[in-house]
Amino acid sequence: MRRALRHGIALAFAVLWAFPLYLVVINAATPAEEYAEKPFWALPSSFGLWENAVTAWQAAELGQSVGSTLLYAVGGGGAAVLLAASAAFAIIGLRIRYGFAWFMLLYAGTIFPFQMYLAPLFNAYSKVGLYDTRVGLLLIYTAITIPFAVFVLRNHFSGIPRELLESARIDGAASWTVLSRIYLPLSTNALAAVFVFQFTFIWNDLLFGLTLSRSAEVRPIMTALAVLQGQYASTSLPAVLAGALVASIPTFVLFLALQKLFVQAIAGVEK
Amino acid sequence: MAKIHQGEDTTSAKQKRTLGKLLSGLDSQRFLWPAVAFVGVFLILPFLWTVYLSMTEYGGLGEPNFVGFANYSRLVQDPILIRSLVNTLLWVIGSLVLPVGVGLLVAVLTFNLAGGFFYRLPVLLPYALSGAAVGVLWSFMLESEGAINGILAAVGLETLTRDWLLAAPLNTLSMILASSWQATGVSLVLFLVGLQAIPREPIEAARVDGAQGWALFWNITLPLLRPMTIVVIGLALVNSLKVFDIIWVMTQGGPSRSSETLAVTMYRQTFLLFEYGYGSAIAVLLSVIVVLASWLYLRRALRSV
Repeated sequence: MRRALRHGIALAFAVLWAFPLYLVVINAATPAEEYAEKPFWALPSSFGLWENAVTAWQAAELGQSVGSTLLYAVGGGGAAVLLAASAAFAIIGLRIRYGFAWFMLLYAGTIFPFQMYLAPLFNAYSKVGLYDTRVGLLLIYTAITIPFAVFVLRNHFSGIPRELLESARIDGAASWTVLSRIYLPLSTNALAAVFVFQFTFIWNDLLFGLTLSRSAEVRPIMTALAVLQGQYASTSLPAVLAGALVASIPTFVLFLALQKLFVQAIAGVEK
Repeated sequence: MAKIHQGEDTTSAKQKRTLGKLLSGLDSQRFLWPAVAFVGVFLILPFLWTVYLSMTEYGGLGEPNFVGFANYSRLVQDPILIRSLVNTLLWVIGSLVLPVGVGLLVAVLTFNLAGGFFYRLPVLLPYALSGAAVGVLWSFMLESEGAINGILAAVGLETLTRDWLLAAPLNTLSMILASSWQATGVSLVLFLVGLQAIPREPIEAARVDGAQGWALFWNITLPLLRPMTIVVIGLALVNSLKVFDIIWVMTQGGPSRSSETLAVTMYRQTFLLFEYGYGSAIAVLLSVIVVLASWLYLRRALRSV
C-alpha cells in the first residue's frame, strides 16, 4: 500500500515534468502554417522539426554562432583546464610559498556575481579593440573558468602520493616533467570532468556574450537564441522552439553520456 | 672581532641559501603565473575598477567623475531598488522551497524503488538545458497566448487563465516555476548521492524500534542527509541571488521593470541606460549580499554539523 503510494506520487512528478517537454518537442516539430490551427497538445500532421530548425538557423545566423561557440567552449575550457592544472601543481606539488593565499586569490573569481566584471570589461574591450571579437570572448571565457578548475584540481592533486614526485626528483626530473609525466596522466578523469563541466558552462553562457559581442559571427549561441526569441517569437514560434532545442543538443548529449556513468554508480548501491 | 667576523660569515651563507631558495621559488612560480595573469587581468582588475566606478559618475565617454558615495545614497532612495530586492528575495525563497524541496521529495520517494530511474529521468533531463533555452521554452508555455492558457481554456478552465508574465508578483512567481522545472534535477542528483552515502545500520535499527514512514524520514534519514542538504541549499541560495538568464529571455525584467532582480537591474542601468557608476554601485551591493549570505549561511550550517 505504502509502496503503491510512493509509485503514485513519483509518477505524478514524472508526468508533471515530462508534459512541458512533450509540448515543447511537438510544437517545435509543428510546421509553421499548422501552428495557429492545431491545439497545443495535438501531434502535428507531419514532423517539421528539421525545417523549423533550418528556419531558425537562417533567421538568427545560428550556424556562425555554433562555430564560434565551439571555439570558445573547446578553446576556453581546454586552456582553463591546462592553466589551472599548472597552477594547482605549483601550489600542491611544488609547494610554493603562500600557496593557500594564491589559491584563495584564484578561487575568489567564482565567489562574486559576474556583474562585478562586466562594466570594466566592456569599457576596456571597447578601448583596446577586443569588443565584438572572438579573441576577446575566448580570453574572458578562459579566465572565468580557471577558478573552479583550480578548485577541483587542487583537491585532486592533494590525493597524489608525494613519494612519486620525490623519487622523480631524485632521478633528476624537472618540474615540467613531473607535471606532464606524473600529475597529468594520473588525473585524466578529473581533467576530463572539469573540461566537460567548463565546456557546458561556456556553451550555456548568455551574459558575457550579451555584454561583449554584437555581430552574428562573434556572438555565442545562447546570446543568438535570446536575440531570436526577441525578434521572431511572435511570428514563428515553432522555429524559435526548434532553435532552442537544437542549440541544446551538445550539452544534452554530454549529459546523457555522463548519465550512464552516473546510473552505474546509483545501480551499484540500489540492490 | 673574530666573533663578529664569524657572524658575518653565517649571514652571507644564509643569504646565499635564501637566494637559492628564492630562485627555485621563482622557478616554481612560473607554473602559477599564467593562471594568475588571466584571473588578475580579466577578473581582479575589473573587480577593483567596478568598486572604483561605483563611486563615480560615468557615461562611458571621457573620464569617470568622482562623486564619493552619491550613487549609494541614490540607490537606497530608488523605488526600483525595493522592487528589485523584493523580487530577489522571492527568487531566494522560491528556489529554497521548490527545487530543493521537490528534489528531496523525489529523491526519497524513488530511492530503492523499482523503476525509480524512469520516474527520475523527466526531472533530470531539463537540467541539461541552459537558462536561455529554458527561458525560450517557458515563454511559449506562459505567454498570454501560450500553451498553458490554451490548454486551460480547452479543458473548460477559462477562469484559471492568467497573464502569467504581465504583472508583479505573478510574473516573478511564474518564472520561479520555470526555473524550478530546470533546477530540480541538480538537487535530485545531489540528494540521491547523499542517500547512497547513508549507512544502512541506523535506518535498520530505527525500523526494528518501530519507526517508519514520516517519523523514520524526519528523525533518522533527514539528519543523516544533512551534509548533502547543506551543499544543496548553499548552491540554491547563491544561484537564486545571481539569477539573470531566464529573466532576461522571458521578460527582460519587465513590463515596466516589474520583474527585475538585482542582477537584471544592474545590467539595465549599466548597458541600456549607460549609467556605469550607478550600475557599478548595484553590482557592489549584489556582491555584498551574495558574500554576506554565503558567509552567514556557511557559518551557521557548519557550526551545527
